[in-house]
Amino acid sequence: MNGAFIVDAHAHIGLPGVFFSPQSCAEHLLTSMDRLSVRLAILGGDQTTIFEGPQAGIATLREVYEQSRGRLWYLGVFDARRPEDSLRVLNEAVGWPGFAGLKLHPSVHRTWADDPAYEQAWRFAADHDLAVLSHTWSISDYNPVQRYSTPERFEGYVRRFPQVRFVLGHAGGRGSGRHQAVRLARDYPNVFLDFAGDIYCYRLIETLAASVPAEKILFGSDFPWMDPAANLSRVLLADLDDRVKRKILVENALAVYRIRGAHAEH
Amino acid sequence: MEDSIRKMAEARRQQAEALGFCDAGIWLGPPVGFPLAEELKPEQLQRAMRRGFACGGLVSHWRGKTVSPQDGNLALEAVRPQLPLDTYVAWTALPLYPVEPGPLPGLGSLPEHVRGVRIFPRSHGYPLADWMLGSLCEWLVGHCVPLFVWHVELDWPSLRALARSFPGLSIVVETQTQKILYHSRPLFALMRECSNVLVETSNFVGAGFLEYAVGQFGAQRLIFGSFQPMNDPLVSLGMILDADISEAEKAMIAGATLRALMGKVRP
Repeated sequence: MNGAFIVDAHAHIGLPGVFFSPQSCAEHLLTSMDRLSVRLAILGGDQTTIFEGPQAGIATLREVYEQSRGRLWYLGVFDARRPEDSLRVLNEAVGWPGFAGLKLHPSVHRTWADDPAYEQAWRFAADHDLAVLSHTWSISDYNPVQRYSTPERFEGYVRRFPQVRFVLGHAGGRGSGRHQAVRLARDYPNVFLDFAGDIYCYRLIETLAASVPAEKILFGSDFPWMDPAANLSRVLLADLDDRVKRKILVENALAVYRIRGAHAEH
Repeated sequence: MEDSIRKMAEARRQQAEALGFCDAGIWLGPPVGFPLAEELKPEQLQRAMRRGFACGGLVSHWRGKTVSPQDGNLALEAVRPQLPLDTYVAWTALPLYPVEPGPLPGLGSLPEHVRGVRIFPRSHGYPLADWMLGSLCEWLVGHCVPLFVWHVELDWPSLRALARSFPGLSIVVETQTQKILYHSRPLFALMRECSNVLVETSNFVGAGFLEYAVGQFGAQRLIFGSFQPMNDPLVSLGMILDADISEAEKAMIAGATLRALMGKVRP
């Protein structure tokens, strides 16, 4: 990983049952990171903790962090269907090495993003100075569960917890959710956008950079759903100043997830 | 750090220029189902292709799906004078029976600049079956024309049956307009069984998909496509640039295979 400096702000590990994935484990991700000059990645949970909650395996993520020598940071999934179980485990994990914040997934957990069940997660993040990353998307006619995660549903919590750094994962998706995501990132200093996943819209990076401050945009891959290579060249070759690219590829993720010291150094 | 970014960008530019990209997925006309996408106009073709490092390609028209195949084909006829060098078009086809007015593939000779044919079985209301498409497939084989089809327009058992019935027909499965990811199991199984099935790469983005497919089936089974202007061509281009495969394999995916397929077409 000599010379690696990029931060992937949104990745996962684990076998996704819904499709065949030739590369899905931490070793695969690290190999890919080495090839692409990616120094650190933030795991927004693994398959087990996303689908079953943090009690099902957050200790494994700590092991992955340690085995990766501090390259694979991780978020604790807050499962809104089991808020008490989630909080009990997250309270324990919050001081662990590599623990970088919370992950919400309203679509997987079938719980609207503005549901009162999330109150405890936001309060927990505020109390511990943590970032929160959530899956977000647009209304989709072929994937109806995305309606649980449209950006505007987070606005109440964003307003009530201005101290919580909140990342709209996938930047609201490919449809109307994007407009809402951009609006929130413009209106609230604590809202950020990552473009992990297949948000492959034409000139997206340039469009986002023209719509919100450069400090608000984070590079992410969504590994293993997507290959980290998919989103990298579009940033490197974007029609943007190199200082903006540096923020998108490195600095913004370090700031949002409060990764400091030796881990953050190039 | 900015120096590293500059160097990585420059290395990619040089590599992209050297690989000779030929884009199988350039779309004119108003996109449907992509609310944030803007229409690519014929006069913008050259510039769009240059941005995506493409020095050739295959152009399609949304109208061939959304209005009618004939209207789409006529629209492509109209842009013929504006096609950049080494750039051809893909017409939309219908089953040859019942006979419908043209212009359609299989009715008379194919214009010289038509180098691919696409079908939309679901959108146009017919099954992907030998008894429906057999005569068209025979015609395509006779004229060495590759057949393109979006994966959202097909069902896998029917495609398997068709590919087995017409082993001389090159069938390019296109990875739009939704994630092909969720179909990776049948796609890879079909590619293993039928050597005439190829895949276009605009949404072939699962981690390690390119490397896996090249290792299992060979680089000649993959064809670069951008699906612009709905997608950014730098996505699928970047996937190839950064893939852990040889430069020769990258060149094959980037354009050599598509050029070879288009070069074989007999009007």
